[in-house]
Amino acid sequence: MNGVIAKPWSALKRSHSFKEIVKALWKANPVSKQILGICSALAVTVQMETAIVMGAALTLVVGFSNLIVSMMRAGIPRNIRIIVQCAVIATLVIIADEFLKAFMYDVSKQLSVFVGLIITNCIVLGRTEAYAMNNPPLRSFVDGLANGLGYASVLVGVAFLRELLGSGRLFGYAVVPEVLYQAGYVNNGLLVLAPGAFIMIGLFVWLEHTLLEKK
Amino acid sequence: MSGSLRSIVYAAVLCIVCSLLLTAASSGLQPFQERNVLLDRRRNILAAAGLIQEERRLSAADIEALYIRHIRPLRVDPLGRILPAAEEAGAALPFYLVVQEGDRPEGYIVPIDAKGLWGPINAYLAFDDDGATVKGFTVYRHAETPGLGGEIEKKWFRDNWVGKKIVTRQGKFVSVGVAKGRVEEMVPPDKREHYVDGISGATLTGKYLAVGIRDTLNQYEPVAVKFRKNLAHELEGTLPRR
Repeated sequence: MNGVIAKPWSALKRSHSFKEIVKALWKANPVSKQILGICSALAVTVQMETAIVMGAALTLVVGFSNLIVSMMRAGIPRNIRIIVQCAVIATLVIIADEFLKAFMYDVSKQLSVFVGLIITNCIVLGRTEAYAMNNPPLRSFVDGLANGLGYASVLVGVAFLRELLGSGRLFGYAVVPEVLYQAGYVNNGLLVLAPGAFIMIGLFVWLEHTLLEKK
Repeated sequence: MSGSLRSIVYAAVLCIVCSLLLTAASSGLQPFQERNVLLDRRRNILAAAGLIQEERRLSAADIEALYIRHIRPLRVDPLGRILPAAEEAGAALPFYLVVQEGDRPEGYIVPIDAKGLWGPINAYLAFDDDGATVKGFTVYRHAETPGLGGEIEKKWFRDNWVGKKIVTRQGKFVSVGVAKGRVEEMVPPDKREHYVDGISGATLTGKYLAVGIRDTLNQYEPVAVKFRKNLAHELEGTLPRR
């Protein structure tokens, strides 16, 4: 594959940021590899819309908390660093929640407590503590966004299958043709419930582990 | 010592910066949020009255138009006399009259304030013009546990209320209770029309909701009686002209 593609691509592939992004999106995906953020992944993946909004909110929160913590990292007293990180994260989460309430009220109502629970999502504190405390701001920001997207991609994948197979819809619009229902097709009710999400996420974890092993 | 002092100062400054940011976000976005809350309430009032379908997404202007055409907000005193819109009164009970073309009342909606398990539950209960049959139920605010008590806002639980009666066939007020499980299994046949299916894992939420509804409806009995005695036209005359 490398031989065919021109040099800038291989140079990009060797760059530090690129490796970090690949790691966050695939090799060490927060959900399917590190099994983090499962609580919210179970709760918000009944529909595509909520999954996408949740993924976007978390991506922005991880990105900006990484950026801010990284900019502050030289000044943060070591003994209270976790508290400082939590304060930064909590502030960003509440701001995100306020914005959702102001401009996407319906989605915000459906997400209910789960936006607020981003504060306790291990992915966010994990990235600020493990990465942003030791890396320059821009790189931390990219790392945060990449991890957020890694989380969002699994959420959207799970939500796609759950909404399609569980209620025959996508983004609230019916996509399974009426003819199929008349022919005896039935939506899988299990997928609308939390156990269905467990099974779906389990399948994603299995898929990722199998594909990684092959390499 | 200077190390811990520095930590304290750092934490204090951080707290002030964070709280300033939150205050700015909260007060700056408040007008937008309040508009959303008002619109959401109106949507819930219309849904309780069966005037909009769940599946359809309506624009803010559509909801506004439907609300203005079909809903008349009114207030009564504890004896059931209509109060003029402008008059300040301590014990005024707000409710909503549902009208069709020609301002003919075809039912009414009572706002429910119940104590929940974790916080107040706010809902709307709509009645037919017989003053006894539930037409619809919607919850617009609650703090119950998602998946357990939070099920009260789900369609299956709300649909469960439609057609229930708040008075017995003898005309005695009994309200509508929440059964501890399925109505068919838990309630004797002659009382089934006064109970809705409960939510498993949310017995307390159901109990608080039932108590809140009973207490609220008790206060609104004068209004319900007007409908039961076919005196709804008395309310009609007091409708604000548009």
